[in-house]
Amino acid sequence: MAPARFIPFGTCHAAVPATLFAGVVALSMLAVHPVFVGISLAGALAFSLAVRGAAATARGLVWQLPLLALVCLLNPLFSASGSTLLFKLGTRSVYLESLAYGATMGALMVAVVLWFEGAAAVLAQDRLLALAGGRARALPLVTSMALQLVPQLLGRARTARSTLAACTAAGPRPRLRDELVRTSTMLLTWSLEDSVERADAMRARGWESGVPRTQYRPERLRGCDTAALAGIAALLVLCATCAWAACSSWRFYPTMRGLAPWWLYLPFALLAALPVMTMVTGTFVTICHEGGCR
Amino acid sequence: MSALELDRVSFAYAGADAPVLREVSLVVPEGAFALFAGATGSGKSTLLRLAKPEISPAGALEGGVRVFGEDVRAFDPQASAHAVGYVFQNPDAQVVCDTVWHEMAFGLENLGVPEPEMRRRVAETCNFLGIEPWFRARTAELSGGQRQILALASALVMRPRLLLLDEPTSMLDPLAEKNFLALLFRANRELNITVVVATHTPETMADYATCAFELADGSVRPVDPPRAPEMLTKVPVTFVSTGGGGAGMRDVWLRYDRDARWVLRGLGLELSGGEVRALVGSNGCGKSTLLSVLAGVLRPQRGRVRNALAASQALLPQSPKALLAHETVRAELMEWSRAGGYGEAEVAAALERLGLADAAERHPHDLSGGQQQLLALEKLLLVRPRLLLLDEPTKGLDRSARERVARRVAEARSDGATVLLATHDLEFVRAVADNVSLMFDGAITVTEPTDEFFSNSWLYS
Repeated sequence: MAPARFIPFGTCHAAVPATLFAGVVALSMLAVHPVFVGISLAGALAFSLAVRGAAATARGLVWQLPLLALVCLLNPLFSASGSTLLFKLGTRSVYLESLAYGATMGALMVAVVLWFEGAAAVLAQDRLLALAGGRARALPLVTSMALQLVPQLLGRARTARSTLAACTAAGPRPRLRDELVRTSTMLLTWSLEDSVERADAMRARGWESGVPRTQYRPERLRGCDTAALAGIAALLVLCATCAWAACSSWRFYPTMRGLAPWWLYLPFALLAALPVMTMVTGTFVTICHEGGCR
Repeated sequence: MSALELDRVSFAYAGADAPVLREVSLVVPEGAFALFAGATGSGKSTLLRLAKPEISPAGALEGGVRVFGEDVRAFDPQASAHAVGYVFQNPDAQVVCDTVWHEMAFGLENLGVPEPEMRRRVAETCNFLGIEPWFRARTAELSGGQRQILALASALVMRPRLLLLDEPTSMLDPLAEKNFLALLFRANRELNITVVVATHTPETMADYATCAFELADGSVRPVDPPRAPEMLTKVPVTFVSTGGGGAGMRDVWLRYDRDARWVLRGLGLELSGGEVRALVGSNGCGKSTLLSVLAGVLRPQRGRVRNALAASQALLPQSPKALLAHETVRAELMEWSRAGGYGEAEVAAALERLGLADAAERHPHDLSGGQQQLLALEKLLLVRPRLLLLDEPTKGLDRSARERVARRVAEARSDGATVLLATHDLEFVRAVADNVSLMFDGAITVTEPTDEFFSNSWLYS
C-alpha cells in the first residue's frame, strides 16, 4: 500500500499556516513588481502542484491562464501610457510598458487564487474557524451550524428527488419546475420542523443560560508553534522592508527601470518557497519513516 | 432519595380544554432505569418536558415537579443544564454543530466551563462511550446510530444526575438501538445516573428497566417492568409465482466516488414475479443502494439490471418524510389519485385502515414517526405498484403497527405485487417473506426460502 499522504502543517497549530498564507497573499497583492509577482506565482504554482496534484492544478489553470491573458490585453486599452510603441489599435496606441503592467496584474491575480486554493487544501474550515477568538465567538458557532445544515439539506433533496423518480407507479414524473417546487416545499417544512427540536436541544444544553460562553479549541499553541510564528513574522517583516525598497525604486512608466539588486528579492523567494519546501521535506520524512518501519 | 418526583401534577396546554395530565403522582428513585410507556399522544413527552423548565410546554401546571428534592421551577437555566440531561428523538434535528468535538463541547461552552475542565470532561465522556475513533469526524457523515450516541454523549458530558430521553431509539435500526441501549445502561449502572425513558416499545428495554409506568388517558399507573417481546404472527400465505415478469441484476458493481470502496461488488439477484423477498445484512452493507439500483435511480459502473416491472414500481425510503409533500394527510393520500385511478372513497377507506380518520386534516409532520411511516406506505399502496421496494419498513414501529405493515404487504402481494424489502427486523421477515437473501461484502451470500433460511442459520434462528 502507498504510504498515507502527508498533509503539510497538519501537525502544527492552525495559526502557523494561516499567518504564513495570509502574509504571502498580502505581500503578493501589495508588491506590484514583476519580479515579486513572478516569485509569488512560481511559489503558488509549485505548492499547488505538490498538494493538489497536477490534474487539479491544470483544471484551475484552464480558466486562470485566459484570465491572465485577458487582463494583460485589456490594460493597454484603458491606460495608454509608456514609451515603447508596439502598434496602433484604431486610435489607441499599445505600449510595451502598459502590456507589461497588465501581465503583472494578471499574474498577481492568478497567484493569489492559487495561494487560496493551496491553503484551502491544507487548512480545513473548522481549523480556521477555531482561530476566531475574542469577540467573534458567535461566528464559529453560526458557521459551524451552517456547515452542518447545508450537507444535510442537499442530502435530503437528493433522497426526495430520487424517491420520486423511483415511484414510477405514481404516473409520469412532474415537470422539472413543479418537481423543484415540490422538493423545496418539502425541505422547507422538514427543516422548520427540525429547527423547533434543534432550538429545544440547544436550550436543554444551557444555550442562553446567561453565563459568558467559553470556547473549546481543538488545537493548542505549543512552544514550537510560537517559535514558528515568530520566525514567520520576522521573515514577513524582512520581506515587507525589501519589497518596499524594491517597489519604491521601480517604475513601469514611461520606461521600465529601477530594478533593485538581486538580494532584495531573496527573502520573499524564501517565503514563497516555504510552503512547498514543507510539503517536500514532510513527504520525504514520511516515506523514510514508512520504509524504516517495514 | 428520589431523583424525580411528581406530586399531584395536572397540566393543560395553553388554549386546550382538556388537561393532558390529571393528578399524576409518581416517584423515580435515585439510580433507577425507569420507563414511561404509553401510546402516541398519551403525554409521555409532556411529562418529561415538565422536569426540564427551559423546554417545558406553555400551559397551566398544577402540583409539584421535584428533581432531587428541589422544585424545578426554582431552577435557573444553568442549574437545570447541570442537573438534568435531555436526549431527543430525532438524530438529525438535535445535532447542532458540524464536527463531533464541537458538538460535545457545545453545552460546556454555553455554561462557561473553563477550557482545561472542558477538555477533561470531553475526553472522559469519549472514553466512556468509545467515541474517540470518530472524534474529529463531521457530524454530517455520521450514521443515525452514531448521531444518537453523540446526542447521548453531549448530554452526559455535562455530568447530569438525571437523564431524560424521549423515544431515543425510535428512529434507529435494531442493531443501533441495541448499541445505544447498552451504552445507556452502562451510564445508568456505572455512573449512577438516573435514567427515565419515554417509549412506545418498552419490550426492547426489558433487560434494563428497574421500574415502569404506564400513561393512559392523562393518568399514570406503575406497572411491572416489561418482558421480552412476543413473536409476530405469521401472515398465512403461500408463494405462488406469477411466472416471469420479475426483476434482477447480474454482476453489478457500484461505488459512489472514484476513490471510494465498492458498495456493490459483482452482485447478482433474481426476483420472480409475485415473490416477497427479504434482504438482510448488517448496517452499511449496501441494502439501500441495491434498492436504488433496482429502481433505476442509481446507475452501476458495471453490470446489467433488468426490471420488467419498471413502469409500475414504488419505493418507500428509510425516512418517510422524503415522500410526504402536502399540507394535510388527506391531500397526501390524494396526490397520486389520477395516476393510481382511485378517488375520495378509497382515500377514506385508507384513512380508516390507518386509524387516522379524525386526523385527515392534520399536517403529516404532526403525526408520530410511526404514523408517518404507515401513511407513506399507504400512499404507495394506493397506486397499486407491481413492484414494491421497501427500505426498513418497520423502523420505529410498535408491535401492532408492525403487524399492520405485515398484513398490508401480504395484501399487496395477493394483488400480484412483487416485493423486495430491506430490513433488520427478523420477526417481520419471518412473518411476511417467501425467501430471504443475506447480503454481505457487496454481494448476496445466500438466498433460501424463509423457513429453511432460519433453520440453517446459526445467528438468526
